[in-house]
Amino acid sequence: MILGIETSCDDTCAAVVSDAGEIRSNVIASQGLLHSRYGGVVPEIASRHHLELLDAVTADALERAGVDLDEIETVAVTRSPGLIGALLVGVSSAKALAAARRLPLVPVDHLHGHVVASTLQPDPIEPPYLCLVASGGHTFLARVDSESGYEVLGQTLDDAAGEAFDKGARLLGLGYPGGPELDRLAREGDPEAFDFPRATPGDLDFSFSGLKTALLYKLRDEPDAERADVAASYQRAIVDALVSRTRKALDREGLRKLAIGGGVAANSELRAAVEQLGVPVWVPPPELCTDNAAIIAAGARFLERVAYPGYLDLDASPN
Amino acid sequence: MNVLGFDTSTAATAVCVARDGEAASERWPEPEALSGPPGHARELMPAVAAAMEEAGLGFGELDAIAVGVGPGTFTGLRIGVATARALAGSAGVELRPVSSLAALAAGAEADPALALIDAKRGELFAALYEAGEPRWGPLAAAPKEVAARVRESGTSPLAIGDGSVRFRGVLEAAGIRVLPEGARTHVVRALHICRLAATALPKAPEAVLPDYIRSPDAKPR
Ligand SMILES: [Zn+2]
Repeated sequence: MILGIETSCDDTCAAVVSDAGEIRSNVIASQGLLHSRYGGVVPEIASRHHLELLDAVTADALERAGVDLDEIETVAVTRSPGLIGALLVGVSSAKALAAARRLPLVPVDHLHGHVVASTLQPDPIEPPYLCLVASGGHTFLARVDSESGYEVLGQTLDDAAGEAFDKGARLLGLGYPGGPELDRLAREGDPEAFDFPRATPGDLDFSFSGLKTALLYKLRDEPDAERADVAASYQRAIVDALVSRTRKALDREGLRKLAIGGGVAANSELRAAVEQLGVPVWVPPPELCTDNAAIIAAGARFLERVAYPGYLDLDASPN
Repeated sequence: MNVLGFDTSTAATAVCVARDGEAASERWPEPEALSGPPGHARELMPAVAAAMEEAGLGFGELDAIAVGVGPGTFTGLRIGVATARALAGSAGVELRPVSSLAALAAGAEADPALALIDAKRGELFAALYEAGEPRWGPLAAAPKEVAARVRESGTSPLAIGDGSVRFRGVLEAAGIRVLPEGARTHVVRALHICRLAATALPKAPEAVLPDYIRSPDAKPR
């Protein structure tokens, strides 16, 4: 049984996952609303809350899983990338928890966690596959030949897709979190009403910063434009960019399976669009798309366990 | 009574295993560590494991874990407190929070003692101790303000800690004696964390938090 801990951004997470990839518990304490008043995640506030919440979140994960700390055989923790002060809370806690019991520890790359989210039960994907991860913090396409790693084929050169959703929602005067609100409004609009630019940087990369600027100008120049139409057209531009690159990557790499992950995977238009790509698609449930510790424990299953005392000097890394 | 104590409130990482108030094994960093880059995440657990081994103890044989809760460097304090909480919870040992400034003052070998930890941004975390009891503080203030408070208290304490080294000029100009540079007692000693823990009350691990003093630097939009 693996205990996973994740504190890389603003969600304090712990989960218990079996070696076979069954999720026994997956607890997420979100600080999202707290940071919304500051217009973004404040690292010091996030770090303080992680420390306040982590022990209770971990205890909750064990209790919901119906296991005792004695039944935990491995501790997995996000080591990078993320906010360094936030990561250090999870890393320090995980190291001490493991060391007091001489348990092995597995440091996990947060992005690797997103990439292997679909390898969890009940319908685990098997490599090789293409994975599209799109969230407020990351947007990339990865080739997965073995669950123990991944090869980044393309990534965003500026904003993440989730950031484009959040910033767009803010410009449209929508509530927080912006992505779901924009998704809802877009359903009432005409996605063909306006033509937003599709930036096509080299190869399989993404760029979303120009799109946000285009939206700013659109709202300024046409203040009377139907907001649902604007939202729908803006969302279409983001989804088109994601799907066109995904299609290109599938073709170029000769891959026949697709997994998507990250918070943007919850977007209804993106979900519908990837189903049209002609390959089987794995879309994890929402709680496995956003940041969580079950995917960190999932990643640990495929990595080498560092035996005590080899991990005592483990440090976190922002990138 | 077996106590594991550590402090990460400054750039130094201090660790001690004490048996009935005496060090069975101690890591007391050199004063140079105060001005170096902090390495708490890399240093703390190896030092804890080494001290436990040298003292010949397993975590289950501890009567208490004691942690310096600051004030001091925010990230350092979180590493120390997160480590202490998880060790205590995982090993089933009680946890006792101790003031880092009180531990610093306990090592001053002078009474009264003005414990000063560099708070960055031109400020000090300060507390004045007399006969082991705090007269005032802990608080965060500019060196001149600290000097004014000392004058008001009508005492002539010895100032110690990395904050006193940093602001020696201002403090001495205000008539406050500062421990000579390079003295090892400028470094918070974990032995004193262990000793102060003997009289501190245990707290539920999840209730132990750093004494930040300062609020996070952020303004709502
Ligand atoms: Zn993420």
